Amino acid sequence: MQFVVNVAVLGAIYALIACGYVLVYRVSRVLNLAHGELMMLGAYLLVATASGIGSPWAALGFAVALSLAVGVLVYLFLMRRMTGEMVLAAVLSTVALGIMIRGVVLLVWTASPQYPRAALGWDNPSLALPGGANISFFSALLIGVTAVVYAGLFVFLRHSRWGMRMRAAGQNPLLAAQRGINLHAVFALAWGLATFTGAMAGMLIALDSGLDATMVMIGLKAFPAALVGGLDSLVGALAGGLLVALVEVGVIRFVDPLLADVVPFLVLVAMLVIRPWGLFGTREELDRV
Amino acid sequence: MALLAVENLEVVYSRAITAVHGVSLSVPQGAIVAVLGTNGAGKSTTLRAISGFLGLDDARVTEGRIRFDGQDIANLPPHRTAAMGIALVPEREKVFPNLTVAENLAAVPSPRPRALMDTVHDLFPRLAGLGRRTAGLLSGGERQMLAIAAGLMGAPRLLMVDELSLGLSPIATAELADSLRRIRRELGLTILLVEQSAAVALSIADHGYVLENGRVVLEGSAERLRGHPDVQEFYLGGSAGGRRSYRDVKQYRRSRRWYG
Repeated sequence: MQFVVNVAVLGAIYALIACGYVLVYRVSRVLNLAHGELMMLGAYLLVATASGIGSPWAALGFAVALSLAVGVLVYLFLMRRMTGEMVLAAVLSTVALGIMIRGVVLLVWTASPQYPRAALGWDNPSLALPGGANISFFSALLIGVTAVVYAGLFVFLRHSRWGMRMRAAGQNPLLAAQRGINLHAVFALAWGLATFTGAMAGMLIALDSGLDATMVMIGLKAFPAALVGGLDSLVGALAGGLLVALVEVGVIRFVDPLLADVVPFLVLVAMLVIRPWGLFGTREELDRV
Repeated sequence: MALLAVENLEVVYSRAITAVHGVSLSVPQGAIVAVLGTNGAGKSTTLRAISGFLGLDDARVTEGRIRFDGQDIANLPPHRTAAMGIALVPEREKVFPNLTVAENLAAVPSPRPRALMDTVHDLFPRLAGLGRRTAGLLSGGERQMLAIAAGLMGAPRLLMVDELSLGLSPIATAELADSLRRIRRELGLTILLVEQSAAVALSIADHGYVLENGRVVLEGSAERLRGHPDVQEFYLGGSAGGRRSYRDVKQYRRSRRWYG
């Protein structure tokens, strides 16, 4: 039972981060290789607000709002200028952005571990589950938040006008522009939502077990999950996250824990050989990648 | 005053190939104007220049002016021309294939979404019953209806349709032509129609232009063009004085190229 719980927790982490990769790629065809760093920045924003704002809930809410704003600002001040340029140039810009964020984090918060939960004065009790398994409160919350975020994204994309516009812009940006859809607003929204979901994951991981600059590795490991599921599919991001987590937890338990960081990339290589477009991705997307 | 006035338009692709040479068109408010011509005549390039799509094809308006309601719109991007009230129904890729019919319509930013949805359902009753159908699974005629309906959702003042009849059956084409007449009559919209089929275009247009090799070679009222011997021979498939020889045809084309 503990095995299942561990897979669910790790799968939720990967899925919550992977949906950010998918949102940006699906709408603007850009691989955001700074997503792991943006996730980490979200967690550090919580560290900053936790020490600066008295009320813990206000600190959390302010950090969440800031992370959404960071995503929008990244689009407006960096990625918007890449419109019309080669996709490679946009992808390389995200690499540079990631390096810059890592530098800023080290300069501002140093490499020492940070514990925002302690600053907020919250506990993280262990919850007993049937079958003798245990789960920490914030791990359980992470699974719940992932479910809520995915349900919210599905409803938003399927039933709201802006969600439909995001899907339309992802399919045919030229036609979307001619129909009067403001592509820059749509792209900025996608970047904001992607950074928001990543930052949620970063904050909940930090609340559960603290954070330091190596948190970016979790974001990097979620990238194979997005690719395994299919880079243009939200369902795929969920399935990819669970699959990668299942294999990773299995290898940790039955083979060697030292292989943990390699497993997502081994799953990715296997998927690229068997089904390069991923579990739920569309075959035509392959050329665009 | 004309709602749309194109004056001596010149369009160059890749800074090397001139596709449109000094084309001038006038589209009066409330009129249906047809632009006729064969493949490569410059019809679609002219339409793309008006709607702002040229920059995406590495092409630019290098000479002339495009004025919409008195404002110069040459080289404006597509979302700006759309915001000014110009809707384009492109020749291909005219709907979002993975969205349903209802989503295709709802995605368009509209000043009066409910009223305009009722209007397009009144114009195209078939679409009302296809709301949940994925647009990629529609027939060619239904797609064309959906594309026109989506164009109308933005409450445009000028509707431009690129190849209304392309790939459609005569029955579907006639149905769409009737819809365009209703759109002009009931909504008071101005329509610019680019079409290879002169029979279709001249049956609904008030005025027409014939383009060849990027130049306007003929213009006039639809009635006059329908009776013009060159239009009859080269676009309507008939000839009052018997069939001309191939040499005559070549001579006609040459003379149009030299003097057009």
